[in-house]
Amino acid sequence: MTEQFSYSADREPASAAQVRALEALLIEKGVITDTTVDKVLGYFESEMTPLNGQKIVARAWVDPEFAQLLAKDTPAAIAQLDLPEGMAGAEGEHIAAVLNEPGVHNVVICTLCSCFPWPVLGLPPYWYKDPVFRSRAAREPRVVLSELGVPLADDTEIRVWDSSGHSRWFVVPERPAGTEGWTEEQLAGLVTTESMIGVALANQPSAA
Amino acid sequence: MAIDVSKLSYDDEGKVVFHSSCVTDTNQPKFDAEWQRRAFGLAVGLSEFGHYAWDDFQRELIASIGSWQEVPDDERSRWEYYEHWVAALDKVVERHGLLEEGYVNPEDRDDHDDH
Repeated sequence: MTEQFSYSADREPASAAQVRALEALLIEKGVITDTTVDKVLGYFESEMTPLNGQKIVARAWVDPEFAQLLAKDTPAAIAQLDLPEGMAGAEGEHIAAVLNEPGVHNVVICTLCSCFPWPVLGLPPYWYKDPVFRSRAAREPRVVLSELGVPLADDTEIRVWDSSGHSRWFVVPERPAGTEGWTEEQLAGLVTTESMIGVALANQPSAA
Repeated sequence: MAIDVSKLSYDDEGKVVFHSSCVTDTNQPKFDAEWQRRAFGLAVGLSEFGHYAWDDFQRELIASIGSWQEVPDDERSRWEYYEHWVAALDKVVERHGLLEEGYVNPEDRDDHDDH
């Protein structure tokens, strides 16, 4: 017991030291430079954010043809927009959109390892990686969604999409009523990360 | 890998306990500590620069999380996603020999065929 306890108390600094040592060793061996990790992080934190997903959703709301292409060939549709250059291997090539429609609500989970469509949604909220969230959302999505306050009619079909290395799903929520004539920029402001995971609806105009 | 629902926890009323953070705090910073952030950057960066395929890292991550999930609740350590991330990173670096003598960076290999 005591042993276990001291082990847990040491875990945080031990992990930190392990990562530091690994990075230092990789730099020393010339595998990476001392700026590599900062550059990668900087790119992720400034370019790969939910702003990309918001723009994609807003375009889909105003342009039915784009929405159709988005559902059929997501990377091709995304390539039409003026978004930051995708990093090959940053999980962008496997992104696939699923579109909510009347009577159908999509929700995205990853039951294995928290795969996430980084380029359009940024890094995942940390609860997305919680094993309880993942397993419950897979098993009883209707209950989970109601606990999260997503108002769904009883006859709405819920489709649960399990992300994997080869399909990283994101949800195009339904366009809220009362937004006729809005610009794409205004519409994008209604799109939250949660709504693109499917654990919320897009914001209503009044909430924006 | 099947999801083991017997590992969920229940409250007094028999209702499944939902991790409170799932419903109360969706805007918390994505990394709890700098080492998690750097571990993330390392894993992605090494893959970006061709040292291994992202799938290879992913496989190690799945394996690490899988073995944690197989341990009974009362015997396993507290859930910490990034510990699995670091374990996977270590494994993939080792398997691809990145730290071995004579390792050649992808861009310096004769057989590389990009561009």
